[in-house]
Amino acid sequence: MERFISDLVKEFESGKIDRRKFCETVALAAVVYAAGESAANAAPAEGFEVIAINHLSYRCPDYRVARDFYASVFGMEVAPGTDNGEQARLMFGPEPGSGGTYLVTRNGDTASTSRAFVDHVCYTIPNWNEENVNAALAARGFETTGRPGSLHINDPFDADVQFANSVEENGFR
Amino acid sequence: MESFVATKLNEFEKGKISRRGLIESLTVAATTLYAGAANSAAADPALKVALVNHISFNCPDYQQTADWYSRIFNLAQTAPGDRDVNLPLGGEGEKPLGVTADDVPHPFLIMRTRDQNAPAANSGEVRRQPRAVIDHIGYTIADFDSARVRAELERQGITDVREDNEGSIHCTDVNDFRVQISGINMTAFAR
Repeated sequence: MERFISDLVKEFESGKIDRRKFCETVALAAVVYAAGESAANAAPAEGFEVIAINHLSYRCPDYRVARDFYASVFGMEVAPGTDNGEQARLMFGPEPGSGGTYLVTRNGDTASTSRAFVDHVCYTIPNWNEENVNAALAARGFETTGRPGSLHINDPFDADVQFANSVEENGFR
Repeated sequence: MESFVATKLNEFEKGKISRRGLIESLTVAATTLYAGAANSAAADPALKVALVNHISFNCPDYQQTADWYSRIFNLAQTAPGDRDVNLPLGGEGEKPLGVTADDVPHPFLIMRTRDQNAPAANSGEVRRQPRAVIDHIGYTIADFDSARVRAELERQGITDVREDNEGSIHCTDVNDFRVQISGINMTAFAR
């Protein structure tokens, strides 16, 4: 609630919303708060509350190569019944429907009309053990760049893949 | 697997799929499960990923892009640099949905503007040109309601909003990058 109000004040101060809108929103938030703070957090007055990355869609010349790479190197699991010969879905993290994420590897044109592009994705590895990580990479013959606790490799299609622990890669630093 | 079976059964009970469809999907699942398990078994536990840590977007105007995502998803902007800024999907020290480990933080987006042809800072080498592309990203939001999402996006001036047959909403961001928005029920098993 505090964060919500803080953001609202910021919008008011910057002129994004007027006094009337501000008052209405705070009043509404108070009503919602009475029904439970979680409800207030779940329903911001504007925009949405994003709670997870749902999936990443990865397009490449041969989805099977990418599928096997991400499954065998990073332990992602092919979701049963999702490999249709053109694409596959690889699950990782929490259970599906409880915050779990999946990577879709699919065949297709890799040209893009977007002015932005994802230049890399980084994955968190829990219980990071430098020695074991380096041994696992060496066993597969990977050449890495980066630093202890945060490394990069290229996948079979030369996409930059980073993997790290929570100390080295933290959104607040 | 149990989750998948329960989902399919639920769809069958609600009439979303036929008996034949149920049988076929469960058969395919049962017969492909081993292959998936075999792939996973080959992975070294030291490299098993738990969650996305961050997604790095390179764009012409990182601040404009960050402001768009902040506005649509109510994301704070942290650790601003000269040419980049982070947007965590949750608060510092909070655990992501479904995560119990203490060393798996909320994912964050990095919006940055940089010369992709310049040598990488971590290696000093010129980056290879990838032959793959992330063509869209799906975000899970709380209390997903497709009508509400559509209305809010349109209220925010987004004109290319469309719904798909999975019950999720698609649009493009300020750089024409595809964004998909769904609820918690959209999983790898969704059709």
